[in-house]
Order: sequence, then structure tokens, then C-alpha cells
Amino acid sequence: MAPQPATPPIPPALRDGQSGPAAGQVPQTRGAALADGQDASAPRERLAIEVDRLGVRYPLRLARKPTIRQSFVSMLRRRRGPRRFWALRGFSLQVRPSEALALIGPNGAGKTTLLQALAGIIVPTEGTVTIRGSVTGLLGPGGFDPELSGRENIGLFGALLGVGATEMRDRTDAIIEFADIGGFIDAPVRMYSQGMRARLGFGIAAIVEPDVLLLDEIVATGDEEYRARIKARLAQMVRATRAIVVVTHDMQWLAEFCTRAVLIEHGRLIADGAPADLVRLYRERTIAAEASSSSLGHPGTLHDP
Amino acid sequence: MNLLGAAIREIVSRRRLIRYLVAAVTRKAGTNTLLGNVWWILDPLLQMPLYVLLVGVIFRSGTADYPLFVFAAVLPWKWFTSSVADATTSVSTQDQLIKQVPFPKLVLPVAAVTSGIPQFAFGLIPLIGLMLLFYRDRISPFLLLIPVVAAVQLVLTLAVGVSLAAFNVFARDAGRLSGHVLRLWFFLSPGLYSTDRIEHVTTRYPGMGHFFRLNPFTILFEAYRDLIYRARRPDPTALAWLLVASGCLLAVALILFKRLEPRFAKEL
Repeated sequence: MAPQPATPPIPPALRDGQSGPAAGQVPQTRGAALADGQDASAPRERLAIEVDRLGVRYPLRLARKPTIRQSFVSMLRRRRGPRRFWALRGFSLQVRPSEALALIGPNGAGKTTLLQALAGIIVPTEGTVTIRGSVTGLLGPGGFDPELSGRENIGLFGALLGVGATEMRDRTDAIIEFADIGGFIDAPVRMYSQGMRARLGFGIAAIVEPDVLLLDEIVATGDEEYRARIKARLAQMVRATRAIVVVTHDMQWLAEFCTRAVLIEHGRLIADGAPADLVRLYRERTIAAEASSSSLGHPGTLHDP
Repeated sequence: MNLLGAAIREIVSRRRLIRYLVAAVTRKAGTNTLLGNVWWILDPLLQMPLYVLLVGVIFRSGTADYPLFVFAAVLPWKWFTSSVADATTSVSTQDQLIKQVPFPKLVLPVAAVTSGIPQFAFGLIPLIGLMLLFYRDRISPFLLLIPVVAAVQLVLTLAVGVSLAAFNVFARDAGRLSGHVLRLWFFLSPGLYSTDRIEHVTTRYPGMGHFFRLNPFTILFEAYRDLIYRARRPDPTALAWLLVASGCLLAVALILFKRLEPRFAKEL
């Protein structure tokens, strides 16, 4: 299976009703997100994200360390097991501003690794990642300081993301309003429910207004009212020609929110296209993999057809 | 050299983040315990009588005003060990954060060491109280020079803390091991005894004498003790040398940290 898509398909307009005709198709030359001074009339399309043959290799450190006897034996035999593995290899992807891209694939496919590489958290082993403009980290529910209040965590994350003090002060109220967790904002985060943490994380990520917004499984929580608010916010960001990359297993959510999806398996790009098509493809492949693994008696192995 | 420049730029440009982290640590220390930051005063006060009992009474050291003698060493030593311990785990305990937000990781050990400064400053309150109550004749203007000696110690602490923080990401043994090394280091430094007490050892084994003189905490303890206990000027040459050596060590530590930093997110 070729990892390289021949041409990235044109994303359908955001199914939002308010986004207007073909919001995602034409590269927008206006808008605030044009951080670089590149000429808009250049033949090459302006890209928000350009990933070129990215490879990320991890040192393979299993949860259990080898015992002294094991390392002694392997030292004597001079046989080295697989000490490293490639979480991503030969991965190329281009994302235009005003695209909302969903990364789908089984656990361990490399989705989070890709997000981490986009955020600049991990350094590529090979290949390049180019982001034009600012990018947020992956503000998931886990990174907050549990002893600090929600309000204090907002300040801390502002400082971590490098947002200026005065700018952050202006935005704190907007974040609190968006998170909408009431009096809990001044309580320590350890008292928060999982949903509240996710709300706070998304609030910070969205209100900081990066050119590239990365979201890792934090959007698909909350009640109907909150989901509607997230949807409106994302649509607003897409209109402001910002790119969104999201990892989620919530297929309904991504079919509803995203303009494009890519399927990742074993660190390689399998397919690239409209979310609805990709969701169908992913389901078919999952069912096929389950069928083959149950017939072979190998649970959990998912090999390429 | 580029790495060193980058390291210094990161610290300077992320001052606000460091201040924020320091404030967070300070606030947290105050909320989880009943007495809060009063512990900063109580800790050294409670540790001092232990040594007075052990060394002053049981071993009959016979040093005049032994409580003050010990306090002058316990105070900076407690500052050093708690700062080093906090810095060592500063990066490895923030694994969640490091996997979510890109930021210069150097701010973590720097903030951990900086958070120790108020702790040391608060420790000076019982020292002054002790002197006002019992050792009024030992009070001198030299006490005002304590921040100078403390500044030299701070550079040394940063160097040790930054390197251990980087090592601890790859092998958590660094934290465990450093605890034992630090304890040994304390007893090999003239904290509970004065330098002339071990003269019979150093004259017999000159190698030990060199080791003893090169020990940074020999210089630091002697300097603190000169200011607090002997009411006299400490040896400026020794302090100057220590400052230069610590500065070089810090430069090496910063370069080492920057070298290893790109691998942190994958290791944690």
C-alpha cells in the first residue's frame, strides 16, 4: 500500500451551514493567520503544515527492565533484540489553512506521535515538519498541575506556551467563560472531573488562537450544549483560516466536524480523503482485521491487506 | 558554545514562566500542610538540636556555643540538599506536561532551585532569633555578607541540580544515588566539626587533605561560620575560586542538559 497519496482530495466545505460556500477550498489570502511573508500568488499553495517523509524512532524501553541475568546473557551472546522502533516512517502530509483534519487509526498507529512532532514536542529522527505560524501543544486533560486552581493553571499554561502576560490576562476571562465550569475555576484541578479538565484544556487551546490547533482526544466530551459550543468555535477558527488537526476515536464527531481525514496504520499513511469515506474504510479494515485475527487465533495483530 | 548561549537565552527569555513555576511551588508548599511555610523556620530549628545532642552532648565535642556552630552549617546544607533533590526530579515528574507542550525544559530545574531561595531566607529568621537571644556577643556586621556566600552556593546548586535533572530522565537511579552521596558529602565536610579537628587525619594522609580543601562545602561552611560564628571576614580568594569553578561547572551542566533535552519527550 502506497503511503503517499497522489493528490490530496479537495475537502468538502464545512458542513456547518454558516460557513458559506466552499470555505475550505480556496486558499485564503486574507485573514490573520498569514504569518509568513510568502507571496500569495506564488504557484505553490500556501500550506499551514507540511510534513515531508517524517520518521520518528523511539528507543524501545519496555515497561519491565531486563534483569541483570538477562542483560548478562545478551551481553555474552552479543545478540541485540530490537532496541528501537519506528512510530512513524516515510510520512508525508500537507494541510492547508482552514482545513480541519482528523487522524484516525488503531491504537499505537502513530497518531499521537504525529501530533507531538507537529507540536514540536519530539524531534523528527528523519524528514522535516514545517509549520507556518504558531501552534499550540496538545492540551489534554493530563498536563495540569493538580494542586493549582483552574485559574492558576490557565496562567501557567499561558506562560508555558509563551503568550505574553498582558495578552494572557485579556484572554483568561474568555477561557473561563468557554470552559464554563462555574465556581470550580478557583478550586484545585485535582477536584475536577475528567470532563471539566477536558473543557479547561480545550478552552486554553482554542482561546489562545494559534494558527495550527492540535487536539488529542479532548473534544469529544461534554453534553450537547458544550459540543455545540466547541463546534461553533472550531468552525469559527476554520473560517479564520486556521488549521486544526485532531485525534479522536469518536467517528460520529469527526464526520461532523472535520473537513478531511487521514487513516494511519503502523506509522504509515494508508488513506486520505473525506471523513465519511475514511470512517467507512477504517471500519471495514477493523472488521477485516478482527476476522482474520480470530480465524488465525492471533488477537491484536493488524496487518496490511 | 551555541548550546550554552541558547541555554542562557532560554532562561532569560522565560523569566516569567520561571517566576510562575516558583510561585506555584511556594503556594503549594503552603497549602498542603497545617503549618504551611512555617516549616521553613521549624525544619532547621528541629534539626539543629539533634546534632547538638549527638555531637555536643554524646560525643562531647566541647566546641563553644555548639548550637550556633552547627546551625551555621545545617542551614545552608538543608538549602543545598532540598534544592538538589527538587531539581533532580523536576523534569521527570513533569512527564505529562512535557508530552503536551513544547517549552524549554531548562526552566524546570532552574525554577526548582530558585524556589529554594525563600526557604533559605526564612531559615535566617530563627538564626537571627537564636543570636539575639543567646549569642548577642557574636553578632557583627559580617552577617550582612551572608547573601554573598549564598550567591556562590546558588551557582554550585544550579550546576548540580541541572545535571542531575537531565540524568534522572534516563535513569531514575540518579535521584536515589544522589541521596546517599549527599549524606556522605555532609559528613566529609566540616559541618558538625571544625577543620582543625581533622588535622591529625589530613597530616597523616595528605591526599585526604587535598580532597578536603577542594571540597566546595569546606569553603562554604568555613565562610558561613566566619560570618555567623567567628564574626570575621571569610577568605575572599577561596570564595572567588569556588565561584569560578562553580560557574564552569554550571556551563558544562547547561550544555549537557541542552544536549540531552531533545531526547526527553521520547524517554519519559
